[in-house]
Amino acid sequence: MKSLLKLAVLLSLLISACSKKPAELVFAVGGAPNELDFWETIAADFREETGISVRILRQPTDSDQRRQGILIPLKAEKKDPDVFLMDIAWIPQFAASGWLQDLDAAGGAPVDTAPFWKNIVDRSDRYGGNLVALPVYVDAGLLYYRKDLLKKYGYAKPPATWKELLEISARVQAAVRKDNPEFYAFAWQGAQYEGLVCDFLEFSGAKGGLRTENGRLLAATPENKKALAFMRDLISRHKISPPNTYTEMKEEEVRLFFQKGNALFERNWPYAWGLHQAEGSPVKDKTGICPLPGFAGPDSVSTLGGWHIGLSKYSDKPADAARFIEYVLSKKVQKELSLKLGWNPARRDVYGDPEVLKVHPHFTQLRKIFDNAVPRPGLPYYTQVSEALQRHLNAAVSGNEEPAEALEAAQKEIDAVAARYGGGK
Amino acid sequence: MKNRLLSGLEPYLFVAPLTLFVVLFVFIPILGTVWSSFYSDVTFLERRFSFLQNYGALFSDPGFWKSLRFTLLFISLAVPLELIIGTAFAVVLDLEIPLRGLLRACVLIPWAIPSAISARIWELIYNYSFGLANFLLAKTGLASAPVNWLGTDFGAFAAVTAADVWKTAPFVAIIVLAGLQAVPRDLKLQAKIDRANFAQVFFKVTLPLLKPVLVVALLFRTIDSLRIFDVIYVLTHGGPGGATASVSLYAYKYFLGGDFGYGSAASVALFLVSFALSCLYVKYSGFSEAAS
Repeated sequence: MKSLLKLAVLLSLLISACSKKPAELVFAVGGAPNELDFWETIAADFREETGISVRILRQPTDSDQRRQGILIPLKAEKKDPDVFLMDIAWIPQFAASGWLQDLDAAGGAPVDTAPFWKNIVDRSDRYGGNLVALPVYVDAGLLYYRKDLLKKYGYAKPPATWKELLEISARVQAAVRKDNPEFYAFAWQGAQYEGLVCDFLEFSGAKGGLRTENGRLLAATPENKKALAFMRDLISRHKISPPNTYTEMKEEEVRLFFQKGNALFERNWPYAWGLHQAEGSPVKDKTGICPLPGFAGPDSVSTLGGWHIGLSKYSDKPADAARFIEYVLSKKVQKELSLKLGWNPARRDVYGDPEVLKVHPHFTQLRKIFDNAVPRPGLPYYTQVSEALQRHLNAAVSGNEEPAEALEAAQKEIDAVAARYGGGK
Repeated sequence: MKNRLLSGLEPYLFVAPLTLFVVLFVFIPILGTVWSSFYSDVTFLERRFSFLQNYGALFSDPGFWKSLRFTLLFISLAVPLELIIGTAFAVVLDLEIPLRGLLRACVLIPWAIPSAISARIWELIYNYSFGLANFLLAKTGLASAPVNWLGTDFGAFAAVTAADVWKTAPFVAIIVLAGLQAVPRDLKLQAKIDRANFAQVFFKVTLPLLKPVLVVALLFRTIDSLRIFDVIYVLTHGGPGGATASVSLYAYKYFLGGDFGYGSAASVALFLVSFALSCLYVKYSGFSEAAS
């Protein structure tokens, strides 16, 4: 009995010793191992400069799992993590849940947002009059193309319309197929996940997309039906996109397909550029980027993506956290972000930096694309809207539902979602 | 006196740890889930008591019925296959064959691999561009063009079922093997003396004696398959077009979207289905009599 008591005392001592850690900020961030190592060095540098220690809470690469890992502690009102990266699409939900502190208030002085894209900060980072997040890096959909193949078959510039893309694709594919039976002209994201919605918004063009009319989110518009039919036809009618587009094609699958030399065009985010240009890549120096085509010339649309930094309402060190956010968004760190990881920083001034331009000459083009990138609907219940859309878009692209019917069915579900959750907005 | 009191308490003392465990880790979470399913508990809305409103929305959502239909179809195909294949393995492993120990260990391997990893292995088999299945088809000349295994409703369904059967048939094999060892050898010997052939011995002697064990395996597999999540999350993520979304995946997506009340309601509905199935099994299998 006595020994049992001793053991209990020992155990409780051990537990209390473990829980008494020095005060430190906790920053939740996910990604590839090299990205997480980068964040560790940033945390070390920050500590050296300010004396504030930051612990990196390593999260997986999968964005659903990253979200789950932040959502649960916030729902449980835990004080850690203090700071975290959010996908741009989560911000409305997190903000409407009251989980994000006003960054203007947290740091003691209003944040200077001038260095960032105004269209991005205004449409994505402000909620109810508060500045609830700030962009760390920005993303927008682009068209990658094979410069060498276009030149070989006599095309001076990449396509500006989908019609041109079809014509070029048909000809080049027929010719290249003779040597490479796995070749398909155009790879894009068609699997059932958020990326499919992003691609769909781009195909649907400036007049389509998810617009709100009299408070109702419109999905089943003529433009959208036409775009969805076009997406399906790329696979089953024109046969210029591979049949596994709707089962397997996510960002990385598309990127690898193009990088192996199996495609002429690729829709992807800017991250693919660095990998295409890496040593040993078969498409190194053969790749170009341009804005995505549109149906009628200049109505092209890029979906805005990217990761934003936020400060938890339950954080017990908001002042330190605000300093850390300021540090992450300083030109020094943002420049490192682009030089070491190849990311597209959120600060515009980095895009004019000669040192950065030497490494990333494509930044001049990216800057223009980010100017016109379009965000997804800023609804707290966007996840549910997107879930319904993903299911029906994928069913249409795979040929299991007629595009028009699929969008009508999605519209019904979106209306039901809005009726269910819309009251709170 | 003291001894009698203690012996009266004894059974309860033995049951106490397990009861405590079940109450702490089963009853309380279930009650908690039921409780939260009565709330409109959406992170971005005011939390309020809404009683059965979540269930009303759940039962009028075609997405829920689609996922329930998929889940039931899945168990009605996967569980019988697992039982048949598992029993067949068990019978073979029960025979006096060389390397029996090694074979028994090998059969267990799929069961020992974590589901997420085995699903990833299957993904590498089904993959359209570099999967093993398409590679073999091309090598043997059985198909001229690669097959998009996960691209059709039926293909994805079959793929998920195959992955799950592969993984869990060994579990059935182990349970049945234990049951087989409890079948008295002299009964089989007697049947053989009466000139019963292998099939007759199996169906007339062994199988009836295995029934309680098979019911246990059936129950375990049914409940486990009802809440299938990991294999689907990795292999199809519910696609194509929601054709392979199980109820667990459906509930998960709502939790992720911040609607804890609705997600709880979907989980409770799934619990009720598995509870009802368990009751049916126990009632109609004569399991309770066999146990007592």
